Amino acid sequence: MVAMVLAATLALSLYLPLMSGQLSLATPGFYAIGGYVAAILSTKVIHVTGPYPIPLILGEMILAGAGCGVLAVLIGVPALRLRGVYLALATIAFVEIVRVLSLTVEFTGGAIGIFNIPQPFVTANGIEYLLIALPMLICAALFVYRLERIGVGRALVAIREDELAADAVGINPTRYKVLSFAMGAMLAGAVGALSAHFLNTWNARQGTFDASIAVLAFVLIGGSRSFVGPIVGAMVLTALPEGLRAVAGIGELPVWLATLLRDGRVIIYGLLIVICTLNFPQGLIAPRQPVRKAVKSS
Amino acid sequence: MDIGLTFQQLLNGLSIGCVYAIFALGYTLIFSILRIINFAHASVFTLGAYFTYFLIGGKFGFNGLLSNGQLPFALPFLIALVVGAVLAGLVSMAIEQLAFKPLRNRGADPLLTLVSSLGVAIVVVNVIQYLVGAEIYAFPSSVLSGLPAAVNFGNADRAIPIRTIQIVILAVSVVIMIGLTLLVERTRTGKALKAIAEDATVAGLLGINADRLIMATFFLSGFVGGLAGTLVGLSVSIAGPYFGIAFGLKGLAVIVLGGLGSIPGSILGGLLIGLAEAFVPSSAIAIKEAVPFAILFLVLIVRPQGLMGRSLVQKV
Repeated sequence: MVAMVLAATLALSLYLPLMSGQLSLATPGFYAIGGYVAAILSTKVIHVTGPYPIPLILGEMILAGAGCGVLAVLIGVPALRLRGVYLALATIAFVEIVRVLSLTVEFTGGAIGIFNIPQPFVTANGIEYLLIALPMLICAALFVYRLERIGVGRALVAIREDELAADAVGINPTRYKVLSFAMGAMLAGAVGALSAHFLNTWNARQGTFDASIAVLAFVLIGGSRSFVGPIVGAMVLTALPEGLRAVAGIGELPVWLATLLRDGRVIIYGLLIVICTLNFPQGLIAPRQPVRKAVKSS
Repeated sequence: MDIGLTFQQLLNGLSIGCVYAIFALGYTLIFSILRIINFAHASVFTLGAYFTYFLIGGKFGFNGLLSNGQLPFALPFLIALVVGAVLAGLVSMAIEQLAFKPLRNRGADPLLTLVSSLGVAIVVVNVIQYLVGAEIYAFPSSVLSGLPAAVNFGNADRAIPIRTIQIVILAVSVVIMIGLTLLVERTRTGKALKAIAEDATVAGLLGINADRLIMATFFLSGFVGGLAGTLVGLSVSIAGPYFGIAFGLKGLAVIVLGGLGSIPGSILGGLLIGLAEAFVPSSAIAIKEAVPFAILFLVLIVRPQGLMGRSLVQKV
């Protein structure tokens, strides 16, 4: 449950830059940084005995979000002059740099990572994390919902549909693109901070190329034109492996099929990505009013 | 500075740089014609190495579905190398038919094609893992029998040994680079490819069979990629199904540095990045993996069209 809610919030963080038409695969990078911020603060800086106080977690989340936001602006101002494919490449490079650095630098614990991140709750499955995660998701969703209805959101959509035209009517594309990029980064950082506590341990595997693909699958399969899509997509796809595992446990299935259902999570994500791009470019949850096909620009 | 060591680093850098270059040529061939980045190329590279390993009679571990699988026969290495590359080329063609052609026919956004090829890459890599497990496979050292393990470029009391495999890689890569350049610049096929790159519809009107040539390009790209995969596998080892993805990401740095779609650019970019990696001081060896990405990031910001690319004109 908690994982589903966290994944949904993460998917929203990729949806934000996509609102302005920017395919950014940087989310896992910011997610990883946010997690490290929380992990380092709570294990090395602050020492609390007993359950970890919730206000401190909220503080870490805000700090991680703000840090990622500032970083995103610093990266975004030069990088977002790039378009389409080039931006996707730059963000892939960013994720790889974060991963290699966190493997190398000492205070992130190298390849082993950081263990024993203090928990605010005592139950084993950590269902109480919903108390933080769910309001965060709702706030983020409300924020995006409102954003789509005010001037800023409309400017973002205008840039997505046609950047040159948007520029021509007085929208500064770079400023709005950086804004959407930074908002996504802040959200990803905050999710990372909470996830670090939830997972109890944090290492460089949290922000890999695979993670980029998974989040991308959430958004694409849910639908990239409305904020409901990424949320639903993330929840369904996070719950899917558990469901498949249950099916695989039924027995009577040939071995290869059972193994595929149990371990083939990523294969299924990949297949879904391909099938959805080929057949449902708008995602499974299409926006209410049909969007006219964008004029092909090269 | 030690001359011998520098020479060794230089050759190391050139040899790995050549592999980066021919790997990147696979991206470039497709990008120069279709203006898309084919992420699946990295998985084809991996497949090439696995095919060759299997064809020379290599045995798989016990983790995958094909546990302990082995061919009843073993091909000599050179034939296996070529057959493996051909198989990789065929897979590349199949990928084009399944994941690219429908999007191309619809005139979809290049970003969608990028996403689709990412999906294909993930599927192929994980199917490999599902079939043969995630172990590291090494080619037996006997495949290059008849050749010494290393050649001494120094003299008897100051040895500068260079591994033979690196010289083989260097030679094969140079042949491929020259071959591809000639194909594109000097033949009718190359001209036809350029015409398609300019405008596929008009090329079709002039009697060029665009679909068939695009398929041929994908085959060529897969063939070269598979060959590069085997060479790397031979030089280091096949480090699990993901090793191609790591190369694929570096390959992106190469093509962007050289300029997207430029064949000489890819070669230059590959060599530069290979050399840059080889000359990272051993005290900073841990950050070696980040070097290509730092270069990629810098190039994108300073000169997005790359070293030899044409500057980008944005059309309405």
